[in-house]
Amino acid sequence: MEQILDQQTLTNIIYVAIFLIGALLFGFGPIIIVKLISPSSHTRNIENKTGQFIECGIEPIGSAWIRFGIVYYLYALIFLAFDVDVLFLFPVAVAYNNPEFVVRDLVEVLIFVGILSLAVVYAWVKGVFNWEQKKYHHQ
Amino acid sequence: MDTSIWEPIIYLVGIMAFAGLNAAYLGWCERKGAGHIQRRIGPKEVGWFGLLQPLADGIKLMSKQLLVPQGVDGILFRAAPILAMVPAITSMVAIPFSETIQARSIDLSVLLIFALASIGMMAVLIGGWASGNKYAIISATRSVSQNIAYEIPMLVTVITIVMLSGSMNLEEIAMKQEGGFWNWNIFPVAGESIAQAIIMPISFIIFFICSVAETNRAPFDMAEAESELIAGFMTEYGSMGFGLFMMGEYLNIVVGACLTTILFLGGWYGPFGFTSSVFWFLLKIYILIATFIWIRWTFPRTQIYKLLNLSWKILIPFSLAILLLTAVFLKVEGFLI
Repeated sequence: MEQILDQQTLTNIIYVAIFLIGALLFGFGPIIIVKLISPSSHTRNIENKTGQFIECGIEPIGSAWIRFGIVYYLYALIFLAFDVDVLFLFPVAVAYNNPEFVVRDLVEVLIFVGILSLAVVYAWVKGVFNWEQKKYHHQ
Repeated sequence: MDTSIWEPIIYLVGIMAFAGLNAAYLGWCERKGAGHIQRRIGPKEVGWFGLLQPLADGIKLMSKQLLVPQGVDGILFRAAPILAMVPAITSMVAIPFSETIQARSIDLSVLLIFALASIGMMAVLIGGWASGNKYAIISATRSVSQNIAYEIPMLVTVITIVMLSGSMNLEEIAMKQEGGFWNWNIFPVAGESIAQAIIMPISFIIFFICSVAETNRAPFDMAEAESELIAGFMTEYGSMGFGLFMMGEYLNIVVGACLTTILFLGGWYGPFGFTSSVFWFLLKIYILIATFIWIRWTFPRTQIYKLLNLSWKILIPFSLAILLLTAVFLKVEGFLI
């Protein structure tokens, strides 16, 4: 039995690997064709600004890799709490429709999802979802 | 278990042809559809009804210089377009197109497809960040916050379906819905309880909204909002780098439509129960894709905070409530009819 399971898993992995290789070919193929037929070595470059970043026609001011305020950073934190827990629910859901333990399954899922929902309630009460216009006082 | 090595390769070639055709011609469909919605004609010069337009576009994109601006993060900048393309094609390994046409029936196929989809999201983040362009970085952060917000209601809805079907294998989920439309997960009147049938359409709407948002399509296209961010994370990409991002987007739409069809619309089964073939599957996914295009050209773009709050304040509470109600309906016999 164990042998058969192993072989099936192995076949799955081989299939996914073959598709991955095919997808990589599909991704690299057009790039290679472009490399072959496009004028990659010489371009008209009078002002020497071909490699400049697009900033709607003006010279870029400073680097873009700076620290800047992401307002939705807090959303990412709630997401981390959520996503891991949601992953735990998958195996529960597969085994859920089993007539053996009616009350235990139901109560456990209710408790788990109930506590999970508190994350949204907490963030809501804390005001994460309120977007107020920030007023900056320049001095 | 005598599986020939040629079987996956034949499937791979078939799916690559399907993917290539879709990536090329969905662009044409979208331009034509957009044209007619806006009372224009759309592409018409190249070939009959502009049918050779994708070919002309492809040749044009391939003959353009692959420009890498000075000061980008070289490796990540080059890797991002390929990373946008790879997960979409790889995830088609697990999609059953009909009873017999499926590359491989994998037990964890739902999880596999979602895992690959989040790699596709990574491509947007990497491409935007590595570009070193301010618009691209704003676009990348926006797109990530949007994708993670909409991933949760989508996953919770999928968990509801998994609970009903008792399997994470897409083929088995589709086979549970055998018969007419009264057995499909969107409105399972023939199922255990009528109450379940009433809440499932809400579940379908949540899933559909999330799949529009996950593929970064209008009205949720905050990532490439042309009027404010030029082209978002694709700003610095030209030539086939841009082409791969576009093809990746269309393939993600195809994968999203396939998932919706299998999870909710009965996969390859006909609506009246006596026919089942790949024809019905393709018909359903192209109706869904047409809806995607229709939505894109008829709704205005939302704002980022409305977009995030729609997910966190409405879709997530509703999807969690549906999950809990399903849990109750499955266990309590005869609850509400």
